[in-house]
Amino acid sequence: MKIGVLAVQGAAREHLLCLSRLGVEAVSVLRPADLAGLSGIILPGGESTAQWRLLSRAGLADPLGEALKEGLPAFGTCAGLILLAQEITNWPERYLGVLDVAVERNATGRQVDSFEAKVRVDGLGEVPAVFIRAPAIRRVGPGVEVLGTYEGEPVLVRQGSVLGATFHPELTEDLRIHELFLSLCRKG
Amino acid sequence: MRMLGADGVFVGSGIFKSENPEKRARAIVLACTYYDDPELLAKVSEDLGEAMPGLEIEKIPEHALLQYR
Repeated sequence: MKIGVLAVQGAAREHLLCLSRLGVEAVSVLRPADLAGLSGIILPGGESTAQWRLLSRAGLADPLGEALKEGLPAFGTCAGLILLAQEITNWPERYLGVLDVAVERNATGRQVDSFEAKVRVDGLGEVPAVFIRAPAIRRVGPGVEVLGTYEGEPVLVRQGSVLGATFHPELTEDLRIHELFLSLCRKG
Repeated sequence: MRMLGADGVFVGSGIFKSENPEKRARAIVLACTYYDDPELLAKVSEDLGEAMPGLEIEKIPEHALLQYR
């Protein structure tokens, strides 16, 4: 099974390492041709506007959007969640729009307000999570399942084979969230 | 830097004090993203104008030195 990690900007390397540790083939996605043969794609954290500009310039916006519409499993973390979201409450644009949630950018404040915490995930219990200038999920559509919460707020959601997290699972040693995504990829 | 594993490269005055800051900034961003693509690196590095000139520390007046500001 081959999993891509969008690598135009942000924390791609850490996701690639997590995937390798789980024994799957992990490739950087920088060009449209890199999408071929993928069983899933991770959209990492970083800066969503910079990521969108770079992937648009690379000609990736349309083919990536098409692949997602055709059901390519996707996992967006932090900025990646913003790229997948249908609505961004405090930003005029929206990007891929394949996950029926409304997110607020930089909802936890400035860099000094970044923190680590345990989040509660269905079927997994407590999972360590790193929140870095994290977005918040403000609305969850009817087809979206909340899989993880922190202080009662949704932080991990799933719609079909699209998974979104407001936090960075790739910065901890705990690989269970990545395993969860791989199980969605195996189902196709 | 990217080949050594850095997520990014911070550039400040190297952009703003160059002849064509916008073009140089774009080139640096793309070089950072596509650091393993020599063809693209060569392409974005063309025709950028003059780089920021080097400054000799003795010739910078005290009021402009960061440690005295």
